[in-house]
Amino acid sequence: MKPILHTENLSIAFGGLKAVDAISMSATPHEITTVIGPNGAGKTTLFNLISGALKPGSGKVYLDGKDVTRFGPAQLQHAGLARSFQITNLFFEMTVRENLRLASQILEPISHAVRPLRRTGRAARKVDELIERFDFHDKVHEQVGYLSHGEQRRLEIAMCLACEPKLLMLDEPTQGMSHADTDETEELIKSLTQNVSILLIEHDIGIVMSVSDHVIVMHQGQKIADGTPAEVRANPAVQAAYFGHG
Amino acid sequence: MRDRLDISMRANHVFFAVLMGIGLICVALAVAMNDTFYLRLGTEALILGGLALSVDILLGFGGLLSLGQALYFGIGAYVSALVLREVPSFWLAMAAATGVTLLAGIIGGLIANRVRGVYFALITFGMAQVVAKVVYNTRELGASDGLIGVPVLEIPLGVITVSAGDPLAFFLLTLSVLTILYAAVAYLFTTPFGRVVIALKANEKRVPFLGYNTWGPRMVCYVVAALVAGITGALYPMLRGFVSPELMFFASSGNAVIMVVLGGVGTLIGALYGAVLLTFLKSVVGSYTEHHLIAIGVIFIFAILFMPKGIIGVAKPSLERRLIRFDEQTDAARIKATGERA
Ligand SMILES: Nc1ncnc2c1ncn2[C@@H]1O[C@H](COP(=O)(O)OP(=O)(O)OP(=O)(O)O)[C@@H](O)[C@H]1O
Ligand SMILES: [Mg+2]
Repeated sequence: MKPILHTENLSIAFGGLKAVDAISMSATPHEITTVIGPNGAGKTTLFNLISGALKPGSGKVYLDGKDVTRFGPAQLQHAGLARSFQITNLFFEMTVRENLRLASQILEPISHAVRPLRRTGRAARKVDELIERFDFHDKVHEQVGYLSHGEQRRLEIAMCLACEPKLLMLDEPTQGMSHADTDETEELIKSLTQNVSILLIEHDIGIVMSVSDHVIVMHQGQKIADGTPAEVRANPAVQAAYFGHG
Repeated sequence: MRDRLDISMRANHVFFAVLMGIGLICVALAVAMNDTFYLRLGTEALILGGLALSVDILLGFGGLLSLGQALYFGIGAYVSALVLREVPSFWLAMAAATGVTLLAGIIGGLIANRVRGVYFALITFGMAQVVAKVVYNTRELGASDGLIGVPVLEIPLGVITVSAGDPLAFFLLTLSVLTILYAAVAYLFTTPFGRVVIALKANEKRVPFLGYNTWGPRMVCYVVAALVAGITGALYPMLRGFVSPELMFFASSGNAVIMVVLGGVGTLIGALYGAVLLTFLKSVVGSYTEHHLIAIGVIFIFAILFMPKGIIGVAKPSLERRLIRFDEQTDAARIKATGERA
């Protein structure tokens, strides 16, 4: 199947450090592709390159077959890409609903920009849908800064879904979550593939093995393995670089 | 219940209504006592309040501290004075001032919006300084003396005609202009566009990942602020009969920032409270001592220490809670009513 995303020799260096070093990878539509690797392997930097947060030193990024290498974050969002952040990145002084509303109003035409905020219509429906799906009923008017860590992580995912992306990139969505929340998030991520393709960074090997269709292993900026969860687990280089640490 | 941002804006409206109420009572008293001095002082406070409102649009919503907002106020005032000395037409003067500040705002925005934070403050300061000095040295613009001899205007407002020389009428006219500006700006910040501007202030880095351009909304915010300053600036020569380069000096811009901080940043209406307070303080304290700036400086320091969120900030949280409770009650009542009907 034609990949939803693929990169060719994507690279960036910070000073002398090759944080991402000639990474070629692809993600298949409606599958979960997971990037793993030890701390500092370059996973988040790879996400930053793909999502337009950083410009690559060399290499290419294709979204749905289209060259998007030079696209900025907003352009990429319009091209169908949404990403979450490893460090929760929300509008902490706004309420849950205001955050979701902000993310959802991108669905409405620009001509609505200076009309009154509508209580009906596509954005409003999306907000209600997300509140329902992510179970924020009791927290709609809570300031995001006062939510628990787990709730904030959940909202981080919900924000990404508001724009109905084709490709969803999640950077350690379960980081710091309780066991119960982690299990719930795992189920949620699996259920999402009906509508979106997912590129995931995940540290929890249990989750990686259970949700991934495809795993990419990074180490010191380079891709050292690429395959199904079982293949990757059996790979000696991966065991040395990654599982060896755990 | 509504969003907090809506509640917050509604609270601002309540404070607006309170200020209106107080203002109109004072006006009635002034008229009863045959006063013109305080009426004119009140008019001036409102006009300066427009400049402060412009500062709050940038500071309280855009998250941008302008130290040169008097530039646009001055441009509005000068354009208005220039037009009025040729053609004594209120509407022509307002239209010209609006047009020129729109243009100036776009140019200034293109320059200032390239930077953030301290650099933004310094660039806005620099731009105002440069233009003020140019005006100061341009004989055609009256140089250091400014432009005098702006005629007393007759202002046709559809069915009635008011005279700018009539303190009461001109006060009410100024109040109407400020009301329209306040309402327009308040409306703008409740729209989806306004939400993006507010989001930019809160977390600029996240906004592009939601698909929004960051430059555009900021630019619009800047130009709107310039327009508000320019439009109120255009009223200034109608009140005072002259304009001078001091209008664009740092003292004017700085005073506007003080007004906003005194009144409450990010409340829109706080700018008007701050302007009224500062203008009257200056006048009252100034009538007792030459050193009124010292007194005002001390008051400002204490205000910041004890009311960091300004006058409005003191009362706003409890008002917001009331509004929320009111909403919940009406919601509950509605559900009950529709439930019973069903
Ligand atoms: N903006 C930057 N400037 C300089 N160095 C950076 C920058 N961003 C990342 N790095 C470095 O690049 C390397 C890869 O970092 P990255 O955050 O991509 O790792 P990661 O795989 O996401 O790690 P973790 O599992 O801890 O999140 C690290 O050595 C990091 O210090
Ligand atoms: Mg990381």
